[in-house]
Amino acid sequence: MRHLYPLRRDFDLLSDMLYWPLVDTLIWGITGRWLTEESSIPRLVTAILTGLVLWNVIWRSQSEVGRNLMDEIWNNNLSNLFSTPLKISEWLTAVIGLSFIKTTVTLVVIIPAIFILYSVNILELGLWLIPFFFLCSMTGWWVGLISSGVVLRYGPKVQTIIWALPGILLPFSAIYFPVDKLPEVIKQISMMVPTTYVLESMRAAVGGAPIDPTYLLISLGLNILYLTLAGWFFIRSFAYSKNLGLDRFL
Amino acid sequence: MKASVLEVDQLTKKYPPSKKGEAEFIAVNKISFVLKQGEILGLLGPNGAGKSTTIQMLVGNLTPTFGTIEYFNEDFATHRTEILDHVTFASTYIKMPWRLSVLENLWVYGLLYGLRREVFVRRAQHLLEFFNVWEQKDKTLNQLSAGQITRVMLAKAFIPHPKIVLLDEPTASLDPEMAHEVRQFVLRQQKEFGTSILYTSHNMDEVANVCDRVIFLKSGKIVAEDTPEKLAQSVSLTRMRLILKDGLKRTARFAKEQGFSSNIDGREIVINIEESLIAGFLACLADAKIEYTQISIDKPTLEDYFINQAKKESNV
Repeated sequence: MRHLYPLRRDFDLLSDMLYWPLVDTLIWGITGRWLTEESSIPRLVTAILTGLVLWNVIWRSQSEVGRNLMDEIWNNNLSNLFSTPLKISEWLTAVIGLSFIKTTVTLVVIIPAIFILYSVNILELGLWLIPFFFLCSMTGWWVGLISSGVVLRYGPKVQTIIWALPGILLPFSAIYFPVDKLPEVIKQISMMVPTTYVLESMRAAVGGAPIDPTYLLISLGLNILYLTLAGWFFIRSFAYSKNLGLDRFL
Repeated sequence: MKASVLEVDQLTKKYPPSKKGEAEFIAVNKISFVLKQGEILGLLGPNGAGKSTTIQMLVGNLTPTFGTIEYFNEDFATHRTEILDHVTFASTYIKMPWRLSVLENLWVYGLLYGLRREVFVRRAQHLLEFFNVWEQKDKTLNQLSAGQITRVMLAKAFIPHPKIVLLDEPTASLDPEMAHEVRQFVLRQQKEFGTSILYTSHNMDEVANVCDRVIFLKSGKIVAEDTPEKLAQSVSLTRMRLILKDGLKRTARFAKEQGFSSNIDGREIVINIEESLIAGFLACLADAKIEYTQISIDKPTLEDYFINQAKKESNV
């Protein structure tokens, strides 16, 4: 409720949820179309725009965890919030639930926009979209937990990590291009990133090739591992922060 | 004898040194006290005495280094959630989300304390009307003055009908009339609902009027614990003000010879003197043919005690 009420009157939050995803859709759609005309790669625009949709899922999911923590800090509300019966696990559950709601709103707007502007129907991927979205959301959550944990540990002076950390995923996940186009060193690292497997599967599906479920299982395994480690780091950072006092964020 | 609802034992908070070679900082040093049911307990002390650190530990926003906190005979470290259902907190220095309206903010907190909507609406209206901010109920917090925000914070603290309320300088940004209303409200909560309140303030008159008992903290330690009246009485010196026809300098010299400090302001001299020695001092003045036209005697107050303690600290 606390983060849904401001949506009615705050353009900042609405622009984050709708305006920028639509601008990205417009730019990447046009770029994809142009590249399709200039190259022989089939369904390039579909692959790029589906990559964009999945990136929005990752971004939205991580952003809700980190941004909501920052919102409490900016509002001098952190001490208030955790002097109530609220548990940190309940706060995290609420924030993840909120990320699901906001991601859904973003998708409800950009998927039809992509269809209307470029005649690309992302829903053609069918039920595979469910594991794709879920695995990308999981990645967003652990990235958000890490960046929030860093802020809890080192304070608002490092808040830029909330927006910077997910950016690292962009090249390593091979969002807009196949993973075999990456330099060898980066390719090795990208094999440890769960979203790489999702985006490779998505490109396979867009190209009409069968999806290898092993890829999605690897992604799930990595996500579970990273989410566990990130959760542990976040809880440790929260305890560390309470040791110094939550009122230091005033 | 009333049961204690909060027992603090050997509570200590140490911060590690910020640089190598520096000593650790002890913000709160082995303090122990109890808050009884229906009692208003004042936490006093100069800046840096450890009042806010203590309150932050009592609401769970700061982990103690050592010591225990028990509410209702339950350990706070292991029963945090159940305890905080009955303990609320308000501080002038901590705000609420500014993009939410007054009612939205209070409803979010109402939900955290498990209030039903109809109970919430009734209590919110009652409290906001009392604190004179009902007309602002649909305004966002950034549209309110500092004093109005403080009143919303107080409404937030009392809306769940808590058993214990921790108030950190609740009247700091309020005008005298509203500060008086808040004090009356606090006293009514104590009387009608038996609410126990831990109260910090820099306004000594307020503490003397509201608190049943006062704990005086200095450098993280409890240096005194008593009723406001008894603490004030422990300051033995009374201020005697005399307006003299003449002999101002002779009176000051005479006071100094007797071992009393004094200061002259126009035709008035203020002598700090033990109450029992006033009669003898005035008799000596009469012998010396020094006449006064007006006399007033100010008994020591809690503020005198506070200043006295603060001076002791600066002399250390």
